[in-house]
Amino acid sequence: MSGRARVRARGLARSPSAAQGGRAQLSPSLTSVALSDNEASSSSDFVETSRISSNCKDGVSSGNVGSTFPERGVAISRNFVDLEICTRQKLAHVRDSKTGSSGIPVKLVTNLFSLDLPQDWQLYQYHVTYIPDLASRRLRIALLYSHSELSNKAKAFDGAVLFLSQKLKEKVTELSSETKRGETVKMTITLTSELPSSSPVCIQVFNIIFKKILKKLSMYQIGRNFYNPSEPVEIPQHKLSLWPGFAISVSQFESRLLFSADVSYKVLRNETVLEFMTALCHKTGPSCFSESCEKQLIGLIVLTRYNNKTYRIDDIDWSVRPTHTFQKRDGTEITYVDYYKQQYDITLSDLNQPMLVSLLKSKRNNNTETQLVHLVPEFCFLTGLTDQATSDFQLMKAVAEEMRLGPLGRQQRLARLVDNIQRNKDARFELETWGLHFGSQMSLTGRVVPSEKILMQDHICQPVSSADWSKDIRACKILSAQSLNAWLILCSNRTEIVTESFVNCLRKVGSVMGFNVDYPKIIRVQENPAAFLRAIQQHVHPDVQLVMCILPSNQKNYYDSIKKYLSSDCPVPSQCVLARTLNKQGMMMSIATRIAMQMACKLGGELWAVEIPLKSLMVVGIDVCRDALSKEAVVGCVASVNPRITRWFSRCIVQRTVTDVADCLRVFMTGALNKWYKYNHDLPARIIVYRDGVGDGQLKTLVEYEVPQLLTSVTEASSNTSSRLSVIVIRKKCMPRFFTEMNRTVQNPPLGTVVDSEATRPEWYDFYLISQAAHRGTVNPTYYNVIYDDNGLKPDHMQRLTFKLCHLYYNWPGLVSVPAPCLYAHKLTFLVAQSIHKEPNLQLANCLFYL
Amino acid sequence: MPNRRASRNAYYFFVQEKIPELRRRGLPVARVADAIPYCSSDWAKPVSTPLRKPGMLVPKQNVSLPDMSSLSLKSDQALLGGIFYFLNIFSHGELPPHCEQRFLPCEIGCVKYSLQEGIMADFHSFINPGEIPRGFRFHCQAASDSSHKIPISNFESGHDQATVLQNLYRFIHPYPGNWPPIYCKSDDRARVNWCLKHMAKASEIRQDLELLTVEDLVVGIYQQKFLKEPSKTWVRSLLDVAMWDYSSNTRCKWHEENDILFCALAVCRKIAYCISNSLATLFGIQLTEAHVPLQDYEASNSVTPKMVVLDAGRYQKLRVESPGFSHFNYSNQEQRSNTPIGDYPSGVKISGQNSSVRGRGITRLLESISNSSSNIHKFSNCETSLSPYMSQKDGYKSFSSFS
Repeated sequence: MSGRARVRARGLARSPSAAQGGRAQLSPSLTSVALSDNEASSSSDFVETSRISSNCKDGVSSGNVGSTFPERGVAISRNFVDLEICTRQKLAHVRDSKTGSSGIPVKLVTNLFSLDLPQDWQLYQYHVTYIPDLASRRLRIALLYSHSELSNKAKAFDGAVLFLSQKLKEKVTELSSETKRGETVKMTITLTSELPSSSPVCIQVFNIIFKKILKKLSMYQIGRNFYNPSEPVEIPQHKLSLWPGFAISVSQFESRLLFSADVSYKVLRNETVLEFMTALCHKTGPSCFSESCEKQLIGLIVLTRYNNKTYRIDDIDWSVRPTHTFQKRDGTEITYVDYYKQQYDITLSDLNQPMLVSLLKSKRNNNTETQLVHLVPEFCFLTGLTDQATSDFQLMKAVAEEMRLGPLGRQQRLARLVDNIQRNKDARFELETWGLHFGSQMSLTGRVVPSEKILMQDHICQPVSSADWSKDIRACKILSAQSLNAWLILCSNRTEIVTESFVNCLRKVGSVMGFNVDYPKIIRVQENPAAFLRAIQQHVHPDVQLVMCILPSNQKNYYDSIKKYLSSDCPVPSQCVLARTLNKQGMMMSIATRIAMQMACKLGGELWAVEIPLKSLMVVGIDVCRDALSKEAVVGCVASVNPRITRWFSRCIVQRTVTDVADCLRVFMTGALNKWYKYNHDLPARIIVYRDGVGDGQLKTLVEYEVPQLLTSVTEASSNTSSRLSVIVIRKKCMPRFFTEMNRTVQNPPLGTVVDSEATRPEWYDFYLISQAAHRGTVNPTYYNVIYDDNGLKPDHMQRLTFKLCHLYYNWPGLVSVPAPCLYAHKLTFLVAQSIHKEPNLQLANCLFYL
Repeated sequence: MPNRRASRNAYYFFVQEKIPELRRRGLPVARVADAIPYCSSDWAKPVSTPLRKPGMLVPKQNVSLPDMSSLSLKSDQALLGGIFYFLNIFSHGELPPHCEQRFLPCEIGCVKYSLQEGIMADFHSFINPGEIPRGFRFHCQAASDSSHKIPISNFESGHDQATVLQNLYRFIHPYPGNWPPIYCKSDDRARVNWCLKHMAKASEIRQDLELLTVEDLVVGIYQQKFLKEPSKTWVRSLLDVAMWDYSSNTRCKWHEENDILFCALAVCRKIAYCISNSLATLFGIQLTEAHVPLQDYEASNSVTPKMVVLDAGRYQKLRVESPGFSHFNYSNQEQRSNTPIGDYPSGVKISGQNSSVRGRGITRLLESISNSSSNIHKFSNCETSLSPYMSQKDGYKSFSSFS
């Protein structure tokens, strides 16, 4: 851990753990062992992956990274926690087979690689105690590793828990070592458990092993991923470089253990903070330099190349210079200049630069004092893109060209990684000692489900491409629309002319699609949010059906104030359009068409439908996000209220809780069922809930807490036969990628591709569905996990129904990546979390007012 | 089937809850109807739950409202004349619990208010937050940027904390003796309290202000007038409105000039507007410019001088019928009828016919609203059907038992 420039700000009292670390004097030789030994340092990852900050706080470990868990063995990291929830075994109809059969089979290549183990492979978990007790984790590791008994064995050790792939002779082994100071330390290694390869702890150990392997390929871990600084992609015209890298994981898939890898990039700027400061000083002049420097730099993330770690600049300390001293952990004073020379053999050139201050996240319990580090601007490289950069079209294009790898590029990169692992001697040795065999790339068979017909009012159209059917339905009438008679347009003086031509356009396209738009009342207002809001307050009366605002700029103030007032104080659907959008030459007709469709939806209209074979089916979408200001959980729920699945009941509830778990689902479901009853004079026979916004490790809570809420409301709604419920968890980001092989090259698989074997998990009823078109880059499959299912639909039907629902998002005439109710719920929570910050008025619940 | 759900009342749910217990006792209860005879005696008993203590069903002076009794508001007149102070202090974010300094006070706003007079005086000042704890500059900057946007350093308008506190005391308390009640929103209370204590420490003035919440004040006034307790949801929706956000003479000069919504003074003034608009009218007080920013609405044509109505005719007629911010009151009224929890006292409706409103402006609007409210039920139907099922309380209860 001395590999990190962790320097305590002077003057601050030192935390007890640091004092302990200083007390345990390390002999130089032992230090070097620990530093050079990759196993030792990688075992820190062992703890880093354990993200549970739960109650098992122990008094033993005091390494810098996290804590160990001698009592409970090993903490399982969040995404492995989910794997322990076996939902499939409760679902009788899919216990034997969860695969569908319809559709055309398609051969797919994946980013998964087989990982073979001997039949009787086992992992042995030991607990190690030290007498006298040692505080320093590194010392513990070094002492243990220096023993010949262990030296040539495959092992992973975090200071308390030791994993071996071979059993030691004795159940309890006693060893003793001597520290540099001459103290004799007795170590007792006790076997605590023998784990089969499918156990979650084993999976975690495999992940640690692969982290070691990637380090041996001279890749560096930054965050969770591994990057290769030696092969950067330079974009010199923008002073950027991209580090190529991988996100990797090992886990138990349907029938076997698989290693998955996906390409990732780190964006770095070829500019140190010192260079940035110098340039800024020249630009602004010395008078307001420090102020503008703080303004521009604070909050940015920097990377220190000497240890490849990232820090956030929390403050700048203008009073400290590199020539000043600080106290090291062992109590000695050293200047920053000397420290970097000694530790990393790098020399500072500017001795007058100020120091950057970064607040370290405490990985222990939060009640400890804050830890600060001082960083030298000269060694800090800026990372990421500034707002200025992201709005630079050329720059973003250049970055995207590199980063959006197509299927072929991705496949080549994967092949190279695998090749490197297999060629590298150290990596191969590591795998062999553990008894692992790294195999070939997995291919599997998916199915392409039939494409859907789009039902319009008097026309059934089979779109040319289900990615975008806007052209196919251009001349068709939408299913239903309320006539728009009384509405307002607010615009500024400058935009009046374009507004008028826009209104004409809107009326024209409206009449084509069967949406009658009367002439609005146009109000000219001054160009400030207050004037807009005031005009709305004056002119909106109960008869007004819709308010359209032509906004002079995309300042958040305009949008927020209008939406806030019109969604909660005074519930009227509103449509905001940027004046800039209307000024686009030659686009007026298509813009007007899209806006007319949105407006029709906001009035409660229905645009199109797909054929839903199930009668009396309600689909529900739930999404959760965080309020931008108050950080409260915002839960959005959208339910269909007609059998055709074209009309929706939307509600958003702001929870004053810190968890991302919804606890208002009963209220919502009861409301939705009532609404259904009102329109259909019966309750829905089936209810299918799609839940989005679920993080790693939350599956258990979902199963135990959210599903019962839904069930209670469903059973309460009717005393005799209650509706049958299914709950499906959606993940938009998942590790597997799929490619089709075509004419010796690889491509994105066709829309509607379903994968329900091999890449799935044995303990779940899950499948992947590709329902979005990627014009560039590689398509991301959406992952569906059915965690509760009373409906007992065949997997085939579940998959096809899900695919159908991806056609029903009225804001886009084409397929979307998740079922429409989920995207509606997302849109709703986004509006509430970003703009209105409170629950929208229930009077709007019957229309898609948030589109 | 159709009508049965509508008939479910509290007693139904009470009986339903009792069914498992009755079954355990071996009684043959299959449905709610069977169980009713066994439950009536229990129903009559006073129930004690975490949310409801025996005796709370009877409307009486709530214990949580000592402020009202201390004011001895025996009559409307005393209530109308009673003076309240609304106070808010903004901070540059909130620092984590292990820090000694939790807040960095940077702006203070205070308003002297009575139902009768409206806003009588206000006080506003920027505060010098002092040295930002090392390492928290980003945290504070981000918090400021997302709300009031007051610069965290090099801000000339900030006064030192002792002076500000002294000025505040002078504003609130011109004559020594008994302190008037000070109110802030319940969400802000912890922060305001901490800041007051912190500033007092810095200035060595010892004066313990008692800080009460506006929500309780509204409940108190309401109870005083109608002898019924309004629901918390109603109180919250009353206080949390966006319509005054951009009103003139609401924000402090700096926030007005920079067009930033988050202003400590504006928060206090908006509390006054909300109370005036919804409560003062119930007392039949004629709203003046001191109650709500009327000038924005009365002098509308000067605000948007070039209003063009392209479609003449029908709209102009409507405009004459309901100018001003009529819609607000209408929505407020609607909201009350569909807020899930609780029953609303009959007096809550702002209807023109039986309340004794007089005067111009808003009151005149109210009449026009109540007349036109019959044609605005286009959305309201869904919520009324919702209400019997809205068991939000149950949801929360089950959550606490879960965690």
